[in-house]
Amino acid sequence: MRSSKNGIFSASLPLLALLCTFLLCLAGCGGSAASSGSNPITPPSTPPTGVNNSVAITAGGGPTGLVNGVYTSVTLCAPGTSNCATISGVLVDTGSTGLRILSSALPSGFSLPQQTDSNNNPIGECFPFVSGSTWGPVHTTDMEIAGEKASSFPMQIIGAENFANIPTSCSSNGPTMQSLADLGANGILGVGNFKQDCGPACAAESNLGIYFTCPSSGCQEIEQPIGSQLQNPVSLFATDNNGVIIALPSVSASGAVSVNGELIFGIGTQSNNALGSATVLTLDDNGNFTTTFQGKSYSNSFVDTGSNGLFFLNTAATGISVCSDANFFYCPTTTDNLSATNQGQNGSSTPINFNVENADMLLSPSDPNFIFNDLAGPGSGNFDWGLPFFLGRNVFVGFEQENISGNAGPFTAY
Amino acid sequence: MIWIDRKWSSPLLALALAVIVFAVPASAELGGTISTIQADQLKMGASRQVTSTSGYQLHEMQSPQGIRVREYASPNGIVFGVTWNGPWMPDLRQLLGPYFNQYMVAAQGKKAARGPVSIQLPGLIVERGGHARSFFGRAYVPQMIPQGVTADAIQ
Repeated sequence: MRSSKNGIFSASLPLLALLCTFLLCLAGCGGSAASSGSNPITPPSTPPTGVNNSVAITAGGGPTGLVNGVYTSVTLCAPGTSNCATISGVLVDTGSTGLRILSSALPSGFSLPQQTDSNNNPIGECFPFVSGSTWGPVHTTDMEIAGEKASSFPMQIIGAENFANIPTSCSSNGPTMQSLADLGANGILGVGNFKQDCGPACAAESNLGIYFTCPSSGCQEIEQPIGSQLQNPVSLFATDNNGVIIALPSVSASGAVSVNGELIFGIGTQSNNALGSATVLTLDDNGNFTTTFQGKSYSNSFVDTGSNGLFFLNTAATGISVCSDANFFYCPTTTDNLSATNQGQNGSSTPINFNVENADMLLSPSDPNFIFNDLAGPGSGNFDWGLPFFLGRNVFVGFEQENISGNAGPFTAY
Repeated sequence: MIWIDRKWSSPLLALALAVIVFAVPASAELGGTISTIQADQLKMGASRQVTSTSGYQLHEMQSPQGIRVREYASPNGIVFGVTWNGPWMPDLRQLLGPYFNQYMVAAQGKKAARGPVSIQLPGLIVERGGHARSFFGRAYVPQMIPQGVTADAIQ
């Protein structure tokens, strides 16, 4: 089985699709957001009355052909200058906060100011994801995307050459993802529910193994004030800064090579981003809601564009076998048609139907597709509603500390 | 564990602790003995609750940062499974002890899925899930699970 495809041509196809989307959108073409049960977003054919708050995203194999990713381009500028670089193939991640770019993806000669402590020592970060941590220095950048701009905020450069030594308390978290091969993307645009990547815990504690000061004698763990942590770039926009919407069209059961959609900034701030009839599920302090499935409730559940399947429970709980050659995906003998209910802290709930297809079949070498709405696998005792969940619906990510059309963030709505 | 402050690694302090707790290895770890759990708890200032049930003993610890670690010990005092749950990660190198390197080698090869991690080796199972601000996972050695106990007990 394959989960990724090698080859220059298969990697360039999504990029070509992305370029075409940009050209089409400049000509004022509408979005392709289909929906199943939620409020369809129809972007106006002329730009909204505010700034352009919509950027094209492509769900596809991305730069390395890893299935079920969604990517966009961001433009970084040295703060206050027009010295800029546009990075494509950046993973759109609603499961994390913060902008992270591979050092290897930056043009040679492009540099951003290094964040330092009061002794002029560079600050580094080891940020944990489930599959591994990203290690690298914290730098300051401007970011432009669609018509929006975030100025002079902390971001991470992953795998910088001058930060080659990974501290012990970073490698104690597990493997690190320092390269394109590891990450499957040129960077991560974390636009999740929280405004900083770590939050109050890293401002209060120095022993979480996340933020470091790195004098020549070696990196030491530090507390990192909220304002110096990696920020959610969207929360720094002048307007359209209270959340995002992921709008992706649906695909058929056999999937697609790639599909184009939109990442829309702001909720209820312009004519193209109203909540409409979407059901708002408020989240707990950890960004989770509860999924009920076959009579049992799982409280650490969440949606995440950065997960590349529907990951839930295990064989014992579901009766679905894992694939013999890849125990991280399910391989039912026939397609499973299932349903669950998601419920927020606010008590609102909404059902969801989903299918589980045999992953060996979807990912066989003869299958040309990279996007599947029925790719699933075991989780860890909860529901991780990954990219398949986002296909064919508009999903709203409401930020913490925001009142959005009468709803308190953080929330997920669809 | 991630909540061990760096200052505890000084030799003088370690000696003082040894005098107090009749020196034991510093890490509570998969495959280690119950005494390693006790040493850890004292060093961390973590709360600890012990529950005896049929077939195993459950030691539950909560760090000041809200990371909960459970260690499952067999009747002969060996830790056969560990679980963790909290906003950030525990120190897996200490928690998995001699099994950490095996985990790292297997995890480094897992590039196919972007999401929960499931590592199944003949002598080690490691599962990780969640996202930043909500991580959980478990690790156990199937061969060490006591008779009459199943892996489902390790949560």
